[in-house]
Amino acid sequence: MTIGRREFIAGLGSLTLLGSPIFNARAARLKKKNLVIVMLRGGMDGLTAIQPNDRRMEEVRPDILVTGTKKLTSDFNVHPRLNSFLSCWKKGKAAVVHATSIPYTLRSHFDGQNLMESGGHTPYADKTGWLGRGIEASELGSLAVSLPMPLILRGNLNPDNYYPTWMNLPTKDEMRLINSSYTKGSALAETMERVRNRPVAMMQRVDDNDAHVLARVAAQELKREDGPRVAVFDIGGFDTHAAQGGEDGEHGERLADYDKVLKALREGLGQAFDDTLVLTLTEFGRKVEQNGGYGTEHGYGTAILMAGGLLKEAQIYADWPGLKTKHLFEKQDLNATIDARSVYCSAMSYCFDVDFKTMKTNAFFGDDLEDLSGRLFKA
Amino acid sequence: MKLDFYRKIGYGLRLEDDIPADPIKWAEKQVEKPAPLTWPGHIPSAKELLDHRAVFVYQDRKVIRKKYKDDRKAYKNAKDQLRYQTGERYFKSLETVIRQHAAVKGDAPVFERIWHFWCNHFAISEKDMLAQWNTGAYQREIIRPNICGNFTDLVKKVTTSWTMIHHLDNSQSISPNSKWGKNNRKRGRPATVNENHARELLELHTVSPAAGYTQKDVVSLSYIMAGWENPHSKKREECNPVKFNVNKHEPGDHKVLGKRFKQRGLSPKSKLIDCIEYLCAHPETPKFICRKLVRHFVCDEPTDAMVQPLIDAWQETKGDLPTVYKALIKVVYDNTGVEKKFLNPETWLLQCVRIAGLNWPPSPEIMEYDFKSKPRREARQPDFYMRELGHDLLAPSQPNGWPETEAEWMSPELLIRRLSFAANFANDNKIGKFFDYAKAAEKNFDDTENVRKYLKKAKDIDFYSNPKRIGQALFSSEWMLKV
Repeated sequence: MTIGRREFIAGLGSLTLLGSPIFNARAARLKKKNLVIVMLRGGMDGLTAIQPNDRRMEEVRPDILVTGTKKLTSDFNVHPRLNSFLSCWKKGKAAVVHATSIPYTLRSHFDGQNLMESGGHTPYADKTGWLGRGIEASELGSLAVSLPMPLILRGNLNPDNYYPTWMNLPTKDEMRLINSSYTKGSALAETMERVRNRPVAMMQRVDDNDAHVLARVAAQELKREDGPRVAVFDIGGFDTHAAQGGEDGEHGERLADYDKVLKALREGLGQAFDDTLVLTLTEFGRKVEQNGGYGTEHGYGTAILMAGGLLKEAQIYADWPGLKTKHLFEKQDLNATIDARSVYCSAMSYCFDVDFKTMKTNAFFGDDLEDLSGRLFKA
Repeated sequence: MKLDFYRKIGYGLRLEDDIPADPIKWAEKQVEKPAPLTWPGHIPSAKELLDHRAVFVYQDRKVIRKKYKDDRKAYKNAKDQLRYQTGERYFKSLETVIRQHAAVKGDAPVFERIWHFWCNHFAISEKDMLAQWNTGAYQREIIRPNICGNFTDLVKKVTTSWTMIHHLDNSQSISPNSKWGKNNRKRGRPATVNENHARELLELHTVSPAAGYTQKDVVSLSYIMAGWENPHSKKREECNPVKFNVNKHEPGDHKVLGKRFKQRGLSPKSKLIDCIEYLCAHPETPKFICRKLVRHFVCDEPTDAMVQPLIDAWQETKGDLPTVYKALIKVVYDNTGVEKKFLNPETWLLQCVRIAGLNWPPSPEIMEYDFKSKPRREARQPDFYMRELGHDLLAPSQPNGWPETEAEWMSPELLIRRLSFAANFANDNKIGKFFDYAKAAEKNFDDTENVRKYLKKAKDIDFYSNPKRIGQALFSSEWMLKV
């Protein structure tokens, strides 16, 4: 399947870049490390992406067991559609945190997706996102590049957003006139102010609307020393209640979408891929047992796929809970033994050069999270 | 005068429209019964569209993949031909046109606004190509004819519709003690329900999480719903009319939100009907929906005082929707000029078109299609435009539909889309070129004096010497974006 840019906006999701085009003082002193979050909406099944070598899998998933998996370690295999991921793994530039999840167990997509972006405990209670708060804590000026502003990037200081368009953009003079109709101090006027302060490069129409070009654009922006430091991709369709399939199924197709993003980033970033971390994020995993429709229901524990040259090594990092019924969460789901937010908090602390405790306090309400930087990322 | 009212509840007044003598009566008259669609071209039926889908999915899944498995190029060609033949690249845009034609050419803009509200309330999100054939027809045939009756009937129709069942996977439910479930288990196969549809029926369509239901309630409701399916057949896959399959249904009684549902009469179908009636009569349902209605039209944070008249109307009539709309209309009228609402991209666009008489949507001639090749650019444009504005009408990304508040629509990029769009629209539109914007403004804004000054300022600036540019200035202004 080729992904047109339009589909990228509509179906597969969108791309968001964040960072400062105009260098601020702090950013100038730091080595630039990029953090890319790929949101996988619908509930990514960690057991399909990174399958444990466990007989139990054949018993509970007779019709959707993934065949043709490739070996990662003696205990885990990777889905055959994750080619770029595997290729990164072989170079020590991919790793997995398994049996992990955000601390949410109630199985609603909307609540779960809200929490995976807000980083909190009560759905819809927080109006800002953990990444937005993390960036704010790091005092890195920010620019988001996306059509709708995802919750994950909202901070108390709203980031700017940008997304290429084919349309003719208004001139400065036109905007000055239009702005005169906006109530001073209103959200509308503030938003207009951001538009008016844009660099010229962002006020030009873009004719090419191919998704591959867009993915490369993201890489080009991240690669620039004074470019954005954070990008967020948004891929949907992981909610495979039916026809989840094995090797060629729907879940595999979605994993392949992720893999394409990874491939484009890796190629486009070139050397800068070594200064980059790419992490996946999802609202929950899926039940261990298949359902009547050759799919799976909403579950709990899942996996975080990590890629990039900032990783310490190719490893499956897990405190593996086991798949026997007595080991499962509510007797049905892979348990989560690592709070996924520990991984994200560590990644932000590491990439933005802010100490873990400060990051935890600012981005995750001071929750009891563990600093995993030393175990997951390069010293 | 409250001229803003016509834009707060509808799409504004056209140049040729008289200013209604009694604005409330004018609005009330429109919500008593469904307005006819105005599109003069062919309006395909849901059945016709399901047939197209059936051809596509069968050919795609069962025929061409196998036939061309060794020849990627031939496969790609065959797939493109299949897309053209079944209108896969066409109907979504046509649905946009049918919908927007009624809004800008029809005589019941208030009804159209309310229809759009319900389409979004019972949203079908981007899933399994539903937007390509089914979502638009579902909105026309399931939602539209049923929004001027009782809310309960609307929910019954929506819940048992082909599109919603497919959207939320209810066909996949095989409950554990059903005939098929027992069989499955005997053969060591799973027999479980899909909770998706039940959860959304509670969370999004009726009582909302405020009712405090639990996972147990969700499972119970899934049992009640098990059996409602889009039956699968060899040649049409899932594209067959909805049926109740008793062999997948969980026998016995089930308790939802404290009430036990038992079979009445010969068919266990009655359990779902009874349960929907119970959910619709639950006090949280009118609270949830009335607040959402007020939020949609009046302001992001409605006060209890604004919502209460609607709840009262609902409770007095047990959910008679026109009565609720009439209460809404009064609240909107009273708050015109007091509370403002940032319009979503489509409502804003349709207001620009209606008040300036712009040439939109495209004509039936432009929308004609031969089903042999790629639809022409102008025919795909309506769908394309909505996506470019960040409002892909038939394909919101989640089942909770498009956002209802300013914070979610207000971002630099979404704003700039509107500004660019306003310019492109005013520039390219044949009618817009010669249009008297000042006259239209006098009819549609209470802040007439300031609008006039603003337009004059625009005229006095060099680059606005071309009158069509005045349209751009007006469309992009706060008066148009917020009302």
